[in-house]
Amino acid sequence: MKKLRTHGGIRKKTFRIFGSIAVVLLALTGCSSGNGSPTATTASGNAPGKSADTATFADPPNTVPNWIWPFSPLANFSVSNSSDLQYLLFRPMYWFGNNGKAEVSDSLSLAAEPVYSNGGKTVTIKLKDYKWSDGTSLTAQNVMFWYNMLKAEKKNYAAYTPGQFPDNIVSVSTPDPKTVVFTTDKAYSQQWFLYNQLSTITPMPDAWDMTAAGTKGDCATNESGCAAVYAYLVAQSKDLPTYATNPLWQVVDGPWKLSKFNADGNITFVPNPTYSGPVKASLKQFIEVPFTTDDAEFQVLRGGNTIDVGYLPTQDLAAAKSATTGPAEAGPNPLSANYQLAPWFLYGVNYFPINFNNPTVGPIFKQLYFRQALQSVVDQPGVLSSAAKNYGVQTTGPVPLYPDSPLISQTEKNNPYPFSIAAAKKYLTDNGWTVNAGGTSVCAKPGTAAGDCGPGIAAGAKLDFNLQYASGQQTITTAMQSLKSNAAQVGITLNITPAPFNTVTGTAIPCSGKTCTWQMGNWGGGWVYAPDYYPTGEVLWETGAGSNSGSYTNPAIDKLIIDTTTQSGTAVMRAYEDALAKDLPVIWQPNYTYSLTEVANGLQGATVQNPYSAINPEEWHY
Amino acid sequence: MSDPGRAQVDSLGEMPPPEPAAAAPTGLPVGQAKSMFQLGFEVFIQNKLAIVGMVVLVLAVVFCFVGPLFYHTDQVTVNLLTTNLPPGPGHPLGTDETGYDQLGRLMVGGQASLTIGFAAAIIATIVGTVWGAIAGFFGGLVDAVMMRVVDAILSIPILFLLLFIVTIVRPSIPVMIFVLGLTAWLVPARLVRGESLTLRVREYVQAVRVMGGSSWHSVLRHIMPNVIGTVIVNATFQVADAILLIAYLGYLGLGISPPATDWGGMLSNGTAFIFTNYWWLIYPPGILIIVVVVAVNLVGDGLRDSVEVRLQRR
Repeated sequence: MKKLRTHGGIRKKTFRIFGSIAVVLLALTGCSSGNGSPTATTASGNAPGKSADTATFADPPNTVPNWIWPFSPLANFSVSNSSDLQYLLFRPMYWFGNNGKAEVSDSLSLAAEPVYSNGGKTVTIKLKDYKWSDGTSLTAQNVMFWYNMLKAEKKNYAAYTPGQFPDNIVSVSTPDPKTVVFTTDKAYSQQWFLYNQLSTITPMPDAWDMTAAGTKGDCATNESGCAAVYAYLVAQSKDLPTYATNPLWQVVDGPWKLSKFNADGNITFVPNPTYSGPVKASLKQFIEVPFTTDDAEFQVLRGGNTIDVGYLPTQDLAAAKSATTGPAEAGPNPLSANYQLAPWFLYGVNYFPINFNNPTVGPIFKQLYFRQALQSVVDQPGVLSSAAKNYGVQTTGPVPLYPDSPLISQTEKNNPYPFSIAAAKKYLTDNGWTVNAGGTSVCAKPGTAAGDCGPGIAAGAKLDFNLQYASGQQTITTAMQSLKSNAAQVGITLNITPAPFNTVTGTAIPCSGKTCTWQMGNWGGGWVYAPDYYPTGEVLWETGAGSNSGSYTNPAIDKLIIDTTTQSGTAVMRAYEDALAKDLPVIWQPNYTYSLTEVANGLQGATVQNPYSAINPEEWHY
Repeated sequence: MSDPGRAQVDSLGEMPPPEPAAAAPTGLPVGQAKSMFQLGFEVFIQNKLAIVGMVVLVLAVVFCFVGPLFYHTDQVTVNLLTTNLPPGPGHPLGTDETGYDQLGRLMVGGQASLTIGFAAAIIATIVGTVWGAIAGFFGGLVDAVMMRVVDAILSIPILFLLLFIVTIVRPSIPVMIFVLGLTAWLVPARLVRGESLTLRVREYVQAVRVMGGSSWHSVLRHIMPNVIGTVIVNATFQVADAILLIAYLGYLGLGISPPATDWGGMLSNGTAFIFTNYWWLIYPPGILIIVVVVAVNLVGDGLRDSVEVRLQRR
């Protein structure tokens, strides 16, 4: 039978497409040597360390640096920007993370520890002898530059909290080029003032005090001159393609200088030959490479000859490690032929914010019973044991449950809102909602009396919300699917959509008014306590704080937070953390091990990792 | 009729009504006139590959839509205690990363893929046919404007267009049907327009005009019925294309939102576990996509042959 090919074009196209799928499938399955049962993979290929002079570091999936100036707004206040870019070039005045421990590092700090006097109200800081790469010395004026900028543009700095630094500074003086003296409005907890106030300062070089190319500004000496400098530096920081060529960013006091910068995340650093710190880079190049998914990274890592420091996606572990081990303890390593597994756990808490100021659903979020219901459908133990393979710990409040510390209260340890569908249902039915399991629950008893839905919630209002989450990590995807499924059992409809990390962080920011429309945003990692290294949470939960993404406000919590800043000891901390754990300013979720870091065999100095997420490739060498 | 045993069919498939058997001369063998459908069916069943394709397609439909009636699984509630189980008792094809039974999920995913594929093809075919018929019949400025619209939309890569749309609207089965249908009508529009250009100058169409028939009458009663063969054949390819497109979107993570799924989305999820050799998450959806797309193409081939006049036994 002769066949006519009247639609040969279409047929050809279709068969080409189908053929390509077949090829892709074969290629994919050809990559794995399946024998019918899940087994650990073994690495193949050459050992890493292709060059003893270069180290290649894999950025977290879909997470690329996009803000070089350390003075960051919330949308750009991320670990990838601070740890993977800014800290390598521009050092904060105090460096935190000391040989893997969560404490200040004297040797890497630009200043000696502060000296308190005048009943604790006078704080004297002595700068060490550091030099900028343009030959100028690090001076008190560089600190004043930051301080004035912060005073002038505090609303644009993510770590600003109303009433605190710099609002709590009565006066500041620079008696000599190496000394800065702050006088505070009252005596503060000395640990808190160092860990959460002075920690935010990053001295800025005189070369940045510009209002335009070639036009000098005066922000370092005059607060009123900072607005123009701010506008100029923001514009330069938004100009990503020029990062490696802009003379501004070539003036550094850190151990590295930018050599190449691509907005897609491919970044090359070279040593700063004039670095004044204790350890100068022995590598000739430090390269960061981006990946859109952890699978993509693992493919390269598995090859074994490109990445020197990468990470193992948890889904590529054949089995969960023992549940009795800590989140920073390594389990079996499928890449042991070429890499050493060094789990990297950060001192932080994981959560996702809900937008209390959303004009539509904000009134629902303001009801504690709703937050309790939503928290109760988060199956943290299930996600940790299945998707995270026991790499992580639960989050139950503002103080991390790992490592163990006297700051952790019994309330947090007991988890006030454990996973319970029944409890979630009860929270809703007790407060005027008709729960439609598998459907969407509706408000049946509007009003403000006990047992009613609450103010601003109309009859027939639905528990239907949009939740954007960071794409690229299977663990987070699974956790979101679990949450959606559990929430559906009590009639809470979560419309989950994946988006790149920077999109989520750029969306879930404090806002108000009719345009404040985001509802829930989960960038996956919550918060690592940096630069607020003491977990008092004022940056996150205090009314109006710069990183209070959901615009949570509770005067009682504000007072408890302020107490933690002025009083030392565990009692005041526990009062604050118990209240916050119960009040749910955000929805707590599992705090995953930040990275199952794979360090190339033979690479020294990379297995001891900073609990606040900073990296020190200047200490790495083969 | 000179030969009562053969229906006289014109080259366009127009067929006069068969003479009643009672009118045939007594005593002579009388052959029953065959309709175009019957003739086409005879050609179709001679095409073994087409039959195989049809059988596979029917089996796929039965598997996806009847299977869940006998094989009950919970495809809504995540069960983190049974994640990534290999095939075994209770889960013949294992479970996925959220604990869903993989065999049941293939049925649910297939429902979405097939529903979207067929429904989108129907929408695309209807819209494209009407559009092309009107453009081709009226010609002139109408044709120029309508076809430039088609050309303009065709110039945009279809996958890019789909990605753009699904980032604006939340993907669901009705949305995907609508989106795929409204982006796939361009090819049938061009095909039908080409056929219409030749049909509108045929004598019977001109006769309608001479007798005062309206243009719409000509389009609806003469143009469109005469391109039906081309349309049906193209529709089968539209089904295959739609299934592949929804698979692409699912593979890119922009398909239907969980707990709903489609075969492309399942394949995408499965590839995340390729290095742990969870083959049951990869092979089944991948193979089903290929098998169904091939089956639809084979059926399309058979249909094309069956509506081709020269292959019909007269």
